[in-house]
Amino acid sequence: MKWITREHPKIDRLACPWLIWRFIDPQATIIYVPFNEVLSKAEQLNAIPFDIPGVEYTHYGDECTFDYLIKKHNIKDAALNAMAPIVRGADTDHHEIAAQAAGLWAISAGLAYNHKDDYELLEKGMLIYDALYSWAKHLQKEKHTQQPFENLLLNVFNKFLKEKKGTGKKIPAWAQELKDLIQDHIDTNLSLKELSKDLSINPSYLSREFSKHFDNLSFGEYIRKQRIEKAIELMTTPAYSLTEIAYLTGFSDQSHFTRIFRQHTGVSPFEYRKNLKKK
Amino acid sequence: MKWITREHPKIDRIACPWLIRKFVDKDAEFIYVPKERVFEKAKELGAIPYDIAGAEYTHYGDQCTFDYIIKKHALTDTALLQIATIVRGADTDRFDLAPQAAGLWAISAGLSYNYKDDHEMLAIGIKVYDALYSWSKYAQTEVHTWNNKT
Repeated sequence: MKWITREHPKIDRLACPWLIWRFIDPQATIIYVPFNEVLSKAEQLNAIPFDIPGVEYTHYGDECTFDYLIKKHNIKDAALNAMAPIVRGADTDHHEIAAQAAGLWAISAGLAYNHKDDYELLEKGMLIYDALYSWAKHLQKEKHTQQPFENLLLNVFNKFLKEKKGTGKKIPAWAQELKDLIQDHIDTNLSLKELSKDLSINPSYLSREFSKHFDNLSFGEYIRKQRIEKAIELMTTPAYSLTEIAYLTGFSDQSHFTRIFRQHTGVSPFEYRKNLKKK
Repeated sequence: MKWITREHPKIDRIACPWLIRKFVDKDAEFIYVPKERVFEKAKELGAIPYDIAGAEYTHYGDQCTFDYIIKKHALTDTALLQIATIVRGADTDRFDLAPQAAGLWAISAGLSYNYKDDHEMLAIGIKVYDALYSWSKYAQTEVHTWNNKT
């Protein structure tokens, strides 16, 4: 089938051809002509006119032609339902309808500026709507950070930012959660600099806020204290050698472990364990 | 110059090549390799590593690599500065930074899903940033109403 509409497409007149090709008629031919020729050419070429006032495939109330196509052809697809408000928001200058509408509009307006040939523009538009569809179908929940651990910390940090606004003096939830996280990941190489880089947080800012809620200790001091406490706990289990304990508590080597342990407790791990046995 | 970074680019590792080629080095060549091989390959090929922890061209605080290139090369194009905020928002999950960030993220994530070849992804991504740039520079005041006969 042939479909015809006005020239210089931006949103709906690119999104509708995409929808027609992907869900209604893969063989469809799309034709762009000047506004005042759409109806006469439609008749002449036996094409379906769309996205122009006075035809069946057009806007109804707040809804754009993309919405009408979905309804008319009874297409049931959850990803498409997520895309429709984005298209509608971008097409009707109601960017508040969907968070992605303003970005789609900016990219579409720019593409239209860069590609003056409507058919070339349609080709680019297909890439964009295929991408939006893949996002809607598979990636809507995905965040840009790639490590699950990063995601956890990111959530904590977001909580931290929120609480910052209406802050009281009691220990905020983010601090408690960060405590738990450190506890769970004590055997991995946690560095504030790395974490803040991955999280796009200013390291000095986080470390400043950190000490307020972690016994006036810096991030590094707190981590070391946690590791030593964990080491002491593990020492009560005779099955672990001191080498294993150093490894399990995130120390890179035995001598580092011994040095830090002595700083915190005044004795070496070996002596500490010996005293433990006496008791 | 050669520029090298981690494979499977989404936002910053597409936006930076666009920025470099358009404003810093027209003849730049871009290389994507597995994360753990970036520094080794950079040395071998005499390439500049970017958008990876430990390189000069990387994130600083809440600023992404795109921001760093703008600062380092003292670029002052206002359209570019606007795009920087959008890129930062999309790249660091801070969609509140710019209204366009969430849309850029959705489209970029979807493109990366559809095009598994990094260089194919880059070629398409460059078109997206060319579009954002044109929008910012020339088409920003335009309001889209569907029946304006143009």
